Amino acid sequence: MNVTATLFGQMITFIVFVWFIKAYLWEPLTQAMDSRTKKISEGLAAAEQGQKKIEQATIEFSTRIDQAKTQASSIITDAESKSKSIVEEARLAAREEAQKIAKTSSQQLEQEINAAREKLKSEVAAMSLLCAEKIISKEIDKKMHDKIIDEVVNK
Amino acid sequence: MDNNAPATDNPVDYIQHHLQPLAVGDGFWRINIDTMFFSILLAGIVMIIAYRVGKRVSDGAPTGMQNVLESLIDFVNGLVKEAFPKPNKIVGPIGLTIFVWVLLMNAMDLIPVDLLPKLADMMGIHYLKVVPTTDPHTTFAMSLSIFLLCIYYNVKIKGFGGYMKSFMVHPFGIYLAPVNFILTLVEELAKPLSLALRLFGNMFTGELVFLLIALLPWYIIPIPGSLWAIFHILVITLQAFIFMVLTIMYISMASEESH
Repeated sequence: MNVTATLFGQMITFIVFVWFIKAYLWEPLTQAMDSRTKKISEGLAAAEQGQKKIEQATIEFSTRIDQAKTQASSIITDAESKSKSIVEEARLAAREEAQKIAKTSSQQLEQEINAAREKLKSEVAAMSLLCAEKIISKEIDKKMHDKIIDEVVNK
Repeated sequence: MDNNAPATDNPVDYIQHHLQPLAVGDGFWRINIDTMFFSILLAGIVMIIAYRVGKRVSDGAPTGMQNVLESLIDFVNGLVKEAFPKPNKIVGPIGLTIFVWVLLMNAMDLIPVDLLPKLADMMGIHYLKVVPTTDPHTTFAMSLSIFLLCIYYNVKIKGFGGYMKSFMVHPFGIYLAPVNFILTLVEELAKPLSLALRLFGNMFTGELVFLLIALLPWYIIPIPGSLWAIFHILVITLQAFIFMVLTIMYISMASEESH
C-alpha cells in the first residue's frame, strides 16, 4: 500500500460520516432515549402518587361518612329530645294557664261574694234602719240615729 | 484480457484480475474508484436512513428503524460507558459509525464474487473490487483517523510534556528512557497498524477463499461456497465488532490521566 489520495479520501469520508452520524442520529436519539427514561420514571412516580392519593381519599371518604353518620344520629337524638322538651313545656304552660284562670275566676267570685255581702249588709242596715225609723220615727232625731247606726255598721 | 472465458482456464489470471482495483491517476493521486464508490455509497445509505430517523425521532414508544438504531446505540453506549469513567461525546458516534460502516462494507463480501464485476464488465468497466475493506486504504484511513484522535486526546489530557514523559518512563522507569521510548513508540504505532491490518487481512483472505471456491467446478461450488459464506457472516460481524471495541479501548487509554 502506498500513501495515496485514496487514503485521504477515505479518511475524509470517515470523518464526515462520523460527524453526520453524531449530529443527525446519535445526539437526537440519545436525547430522545434520555427523555424517554425520564418520562417513564416520572410516569411511574406519578402513578405511585396517584395510588397513594386514592388510598388517602378512600380513608378520608370513610371517615367522612362515619362523621356524617354520627352527626346525623346526634341530630336525630337532639331533635327528639327537643320535641320532648317542647311538648313538656307546652304541657306546663297549659297547666299554669289553667291554674291562673282558675285562680282569677275564684278571686272574682270571692270579690263578687264580698260585694254581695257588703250590699246585703248595707241593705240589711238600711232595712233595719227603716224598720227602726218606722218604729221610733217620732221619738228620735234622724241625724242622731244615722250616726249611731253608721257606727254600728262600721263595727 | 478475455473476461468471458471460464474462470478455471487461467486461475492465476482470474484471481489477479479480481484483486486489481479500479484505479485512476498515478503516484500520490492514484484513486481507487471502486473502493471510494462502494464505501461512500454504503455511508450514504446509512446517512440517509440516519437522517430520516433523526428527523422523526420521538421520545414516545419507538418504532421500526428507530428501534433498531436505538438498540445499536444502547449496545455501543454500554461498551463506551464500561471503558470511559468520564462521559465522552465523540467516542459513541465513532464506535457506532465504525461498527455500521465496517459491517456493511464487509457484508459486500457476501455478494457473489463475480456478480458485480461481471455487470461492471458489461458496462465497460474491466476492474472492480466490491469489498472496500479488502483495500488497505480503507482500513488504514479509519485506523489512522483514530490514531490521530488518540494523539489529540493524549496531548489534551496529559499535556504535550506529559505525553512525551509517558514515552520515557513507561514501562521500565526513567533510568531506561531510551529503551522505554523505543518500546512505547512501537507499542503506539502497533495500535493503528494492527487495527488496520487485522480487518484488511481477514477480509482479504475471506475474499480470496471465495475466489478460490469460484474456481471449482460449478456443481461443487454451492457446498463450500455456502459453508464459507455462513462462516463469513460470523467473521464480518466479529471483525466489525472488534474494530469498534478496540477503537473505544484505544481512545479510552489515550484519554486516561497519566499514572
